[in-house]
Amino acid sequence: MALKKKARRTKDEGLNITSMMDMFTIILVFLLKSYSTQDISIAASSDLEIPSSTSNKEPELAVNLVVTKSQVVVDGVPVLDLTQIPDDDNPGQELASIPEDEKKGQMITRLYDRLLEKAEAAKALGEATGSAEHEFKGRILLQCDKTLPFTVVREVMYTAGQAQFGEFKFVVYKQDG
Amino acid sequence: MARRRKGIEHEDLDLIPIMNMVSILIPFLLLAAQFVHLAVIDSTLPAIGPPQEVEEQDEDDKPPLQLSVAITRQGITVAGADAVLNPEGAEGAPEGEDEGPTIPCKDGSCATVDQYDLDELIRLLHMIKDEYPDDENVILVPDGKVSYEVIVRVMDATREDPAKPNPDGSARLLFPFVVIAGGAM
Repeated sequence: MALKKKARRTKDEGLNITSMMDMFTIILVFLLKSYSTQDISIAASSDLEIPSSTSNKEPELAVNLVVTKSQVVVDGVPVLDLTQIPDDDNPGQELASIPEDEKKGQMITRLYDRLLEKAEAAKALGEATGSAEHEFKGRILLQCDKTLPFTVVREVMYTAGQAQFGEFKFVVYKQDG
Repeated sequence: MARRRKGIEHEDLDLIPIMNMVSILIPFLLLAAQFVHLAVIDSTLPAIGPPQEVEEQDEDDKPPLQLSVAITRQGITVAGADAVLNPEGAEGAPEGEDEGPTIPCKDGSCATVDQYDLDELIRLLHMIKDEYPDDENVILVPDGKVSYEVIVRVMDATREDPAKPNPDGSARLLFPFVVIAGGAM
């Protein structure tokens, strides 16, 4: 009799996972809500702070040109480093700039070569597939740090324009949502 | 009787398979979750090439607007083609003089983004849009030292104004097609 009672008690002491299930259900719903399949992603770092904007145009896949505080990156591959020059108007502060020996006029030669390669590759792909979806339209995604002076952005844009990328898409954080 | 009670006691839900599924789903969803939402702002290069034939002016004979917004560290200057932008009401500066920016910074110089008076810019653009409802282009001419964030903010301001919606609730579009010009060196 005593033995029987003991066995029954052990059985009742199973792990109570009801509360854990509650928690999991809530987490699951939350994660499902924030699930998204956006085409592009950004590598968060202190070097790259993207500005926020009220725009709500969805990003689409294109060549990814990233200009951080210290370097220029095309599709994940670093191309060149930026230098810091003193800011004439605000003594003690510095502005990022493209090194003079990388430039020919306003064009950044190394970036131009890399972008031209990308453009040629994209065109070849468009011709090989023959589909409108892969056709080369000169789209380029620009992710720039918000503290960059316009000089740098302009030179990068000019270089991209010379390399047949004429449709700029500035990547920004969506402000609400 | 006793036997039956024991049978009820054993009818516990078997949650183990669900637990298995959930513990696989959660890491997967965590990987795919996105906590920041991205958007893009479209812009094109200014067209380079021979000047295009000027379109015939429409019947009400308004000169083309060619709105441009220059951004410097002193403030924002709104300009149109050949003094189109001196309608009564817009407190334009006296003509012909090399005056300061149309919309000066709040504290004299724009060290931070918030010192640009974007509300005033939006107000001015509304007045221009009332005058030229069909115009949708704006040319941004930023100074070389203006930071990228300011340019994005000004693009936001010129694009649309959510504070003054259309009757159907959508934000009023001001000048959604932005072209960024080279700007002053």
